[in-house]
Amino acid sequence: MTKRTPLNRRDFLRKLGLAGAGLALSGCAGEPVQQPLPTPFSESNSPTPVPGGTSEPTPSPSYGDIYMSVVHGEEPEEMVRRALAAIGGIERFISSGDDVIIKPNICTDYYSYEYAATTNPFVVGTLVQLCRGAGANRVRVMDNPFGGTSQNAYRRSGIEETVTAAGGEMEVMNSNKFRANPIPDGVDIKEWVFYQDILDADAFINVPIAKHHGTTGLTLGCKNLMGTILNRGQIHANIHQRIADLASRVRPTLTVVDGVRTLMANGPTGGNLDDVKMSNTVIASADIVAADSQAATLFGKTGADIGYISAAAAMGLGVMDLSSVKVEEFSL
Amino acid sequence: MSAKTIRTLRKITQMLSFGLFMYLFVQAVYLGRSPLESDLFYRLDPLIAATAMLAGRTVIFGLLYSLINLLASLVFGRVWCGWLCPLGALLDWVSPRKPVVKNPPSDKWRTVKYVLLIILLGAAVLGSQTLAVTDPVSILTRSMTAAVWPALRYLVFGLESFLYRFESLWPALDWLNARLLLPLFQGIESVFTSALPIALFFILILGASWIAERFWCRYLCPLGAMLGTVSRASIFRREVTDACTSCGTCAAGCPTGTIDKEKGFASDPAECIYCYDCAADCPVGAIHFPAHSPLKPEGSREYDPGRRQVLAALGGTVAGVSLLGVETINRRQPERMVRPPGALLTDFTSVCMRCGECVRVCPTQGLQPSLLEGGLQNIFTPRLVPRLGACSYPCSACIQVCPTGAIPPQTLEEKQRTPIGLAAIDTDRCLVWAYDTICSICEEVCPLPEKAITLEDVEMEDAQGNMVVLKRPSVVRDLCIGCGACEYHCPVGGEAAIQVFTLPDTDVYLRGI
Repeated sequence: MTKRTPLNRRDFLRKLGLAGAGLALSGCAGEPVQQPLPTPFSESNSPTPVPGGTSEPTPSPSYGDIYMSVVHGEEPEEMVRRALAAIGGIERFISSGDDVIIKPNICTDYYSYEYAATTNPFVVGTLVQLCRGAGANRVRVMDNPFGGTSQNAYRRSGIEETVTAAGGEMEVMNSNKFRANPIPDGVDIKEWVFYQDILDADAFINVPIAKHHGTTGLTLGCKNLMGTILNRGQIHANIHQRIADLASRVRPTLTVVDGVRTLMANGPTGGNLDDVKMSNTVIASADIVAADSQAATLFGKTGADIGYISAAAAMGLGVMDLSSVKVEEFSL
Repeated sequence: MSAKTIRTLRKITQMLSFGLFMYLFVQAVYLGRSPLESDLFYRLDPLIAATAMLAGRTVIFGLLYSLINLLASLVFGRVWCGWLCPLGALLDWVSPRKPVVKNPPSDKWRTVKYVLLIILLGAAVLGSQTLAVTDPVSILTRSMTAAVWPALRYLVFGLESFLYRFESLWPALDWLNARLLLPLFQGIESVFTSALPIALFFILILGASWIAERFWCRYLCPLGAMLGTVSRASIFRREVTDACTSCGTCAAGCPTGTIDKEKGFASDPAECIYCYDCAADCPVGAIHFPAHSPLKPEGSREYDPGRRQVLAALGGTVAGVSLLGVETINRRQPERMVRPPGALLTDFTSVCMRCGECVRVCPTQGLQPSLLEGGLQNIFTPRLVPRLGACSYPCSACIQVCPTGAIPPQTLEEKQRTPIGLAAIDTDRCLVWAYDTICSICEEVCPLPEKAITLEDVEMEDAQGNMVVLKRPSVVRDLCIGCGACEYHCPVGGEAAIQVFTLPDTDVYLRGI
C-alpha cells in the first residue's frame, strides 16, 4: 500500500512562514481584511485564499447554528482552517490574551506520525497558529506519553517542530502540577488527579487522532483526556464510565478530531503502514460527544458502539444522535 | 615558564578535564549532538584497551587512541594521573589540606596496584574482564551514572517539588525546569538497584584520601600502575640539584609521597604524577625535570613486584578465574538476566568492559549495572530490568555508544527484530486471568507493529452474576522480542504479572542467535 504525503514538513514550515508574513502585512494595513466565510462544496476552481487569510479575525459569528464541521481534503492545514471557519472561526473559542493548552495524542515515542498513532503535526501546528492569530498570549502543547519520554515523543511525532515554528511551546507535563480535583458530576469516580494547568487554562483544545484501540474499540476525543490525569492504570477498572467522568470535569473548549490518517488495527500504538488508512477528514466541534460520534463513522461504527461515547452522552455531556444537530460536511 | 605557572596550568587542565568529563557525561544521552564521542576518556585509557582486546581476542580500533596516552607517559611520565584523569582531579579536590593521618601506610603497599595490574592482564588473557571494574574512568562513570547524578537529581527535584507547592512560583519553576533541569537530568526518575554498593565503593575511594593523599593513585589504581611502568623510561624525569637545602618542603607536599628524604629528596618516576607542586614550592628552585634517554630507565624499587610476587599474582589469577568458572551461570543463564539488545549475538561478558556507558544512555533506565545476579564474574555488567524500564522500541542508544562492540552494531530495524527475551503471563496474578477483571494494558503498550500480545474475548459470569466479556491476554511467542513494555506497565503490585525471561534455549537455536 503506497501512501501519498499531501504536505511534507518542509512545505508546512514554508507555508507557516508565508502565513506569518501575511499576518504581519495585514497588521500594517490597519483594517483587517474581511474574508468571506467558506461555503460548503465550494467550486474547485475558486481562487485559493491567501495563506493565513482565514486566520484573520472574523468580526461577527455568522456560522449560524452549525454544530459541527466535517471537512474532507488532502491538505491538513487547510482542512483545519476551513473546519474552524465553518463553526464560527477560532475567535469564537479564543480571546485575545488567552492562555491556551492544546492536547494532541502523543501516546508513545515508538513511531513517526505517518503511522497514525500520534496526532498529525500539521493539524496541531495549524491550531497553534490560529490561536496565536486570535491573540492568544500563550499556546502550550502537551501530552503525557506512556511509551518513552515526553521529549523523545514530542520530537518523533513531528509535533515539536510544527508547534515551535507556529509560535507555540511544548511543555513536558510536570508531576508537581497534578492536583486532586473533585468531579462533581462523576458517576463512578468523584475525584481524580488532574493536570492543574489544563483545568485552569482559558481554553483547552482537545486534538485526538482517531484510531483503533484494543480495549475500548476506538480512541477518540474523550479517550484522549486520559492524558490529562495521573493514575491512568486505575481508569481501566471501569474504563468507559470513568473516561466519561473525566470528560465531565475537563470539558474541552473545542475538540478537533484528526482523521487525516486513521489507524484501523493494532492500536493504540500502531507501527504498520498497512494498518493506516488515508481517511482525509478533520472534524471540529465544541461538543466532544458529537465529534467522537462523527469520528466513529470513519471506522464504520457509531457513537453508540463505543462505551465511553454512550456513557458521556448519557451523562448529558453532548449529543450522540447526529441527526438532531446541524453538521456541515464538505470537501476541499 | 616558571614552575608556579606550570602548576597553575596543571590545575586549570584538571578543571577542564573534569569539566569535559561531566559535559560528555551529560550530553551522552543526546546521541550525535556533540562533536566529541561520549566515550572519549575510555578511548584514551590503555588499561581498558589492553584488557578488552586481550579478553575479546580482537583489535578494537576505537581504543587504539590510548596509544597516545602511553606515548605521553614515555615523554612526561604519569601526566595522565596528575593532569588529565578526572578521578585524580576529584581526589585532589576532596583531599584535606593537611594530612589527617601522620604516617601514611608503608611504601610496600604500592605493590598492590602492580599486582592488581598483573591480575587484570592475566585474567584478560584467560578471557575474563571482571576486574575491569577497577579502572578509574569506569569507576567514575559508574558512580556518576548510578549514584551521584541520580542522588543529585533526587535532591534538586525534591526541592523543586517543594517549591511547586506555591502556585505563584509555577511560571518561574516551569522555565527553570524546561531550560535547565530537564536537559541536565532528563524527565525520568533515576533508580538503580546497585546504587548503594556503587556509592559505597566511590565514597571509600574518596575517603581514603584522608589516610594518605591520592591513596587510590598511590596504592591501588591499576591504570596508574600501567602508566607508572612505562614512565620509568620517560624522557623528562624529576631531579634535585645541589642547590637543595634539605628543607623538606617538597617531601611534605608531595601528593603521592614519593619524595624520599633518605635519598636526597629523589623520587620514583613511576610514582611521580608531574603535578609540579614540589618545583613550585621549592624555596631555592632546586627541582627541575631534565631530559633522560628512555633507553636508560629508572632502576626498580623495593616495592616493585618481584618475580615471586608476579608468579603468585598469576597463580592467583588462574585460581580466581577457575573459581569463577564454577559459578552456576556457566551452566544456565539466570532466568531474569536479560542482556542489552543483540548482546546474545556476541561473547558478551568477555568483551563487555563494564564501562557503564550503555547504562548511562538508556533513556528508560531499564539497563542497570548488575550486582551478583549473573554471578560475581558479571558484576556491574548491564542487564535489562523491565520492571524499572523497558527496552525502548525506537531507541538504539546502547548499541551506538558501546565502545567495544559487546553490544554488537545493529541497525534499528535489526534491533527491533532481534529478541532479547520472552514475556510470560503469570495467570495466577494477572488481573484478567486470576480475578476476571477488565485490563489489557499489556496489549495496549506492546510496541510491535503486529502486537505480540493478543486479546481473546471470553464471555463469563462475574461474581454478581452479570455476563461480562473479558479480554484475556496471551503472548504470541513468534512475535515477542522481550522489550518488556508490558512488564513495565503491568498494573499489579510489586512484581509484574507479565514478565520477560531469558529466551528459551530452543528459541536461541531456532532464531539463529
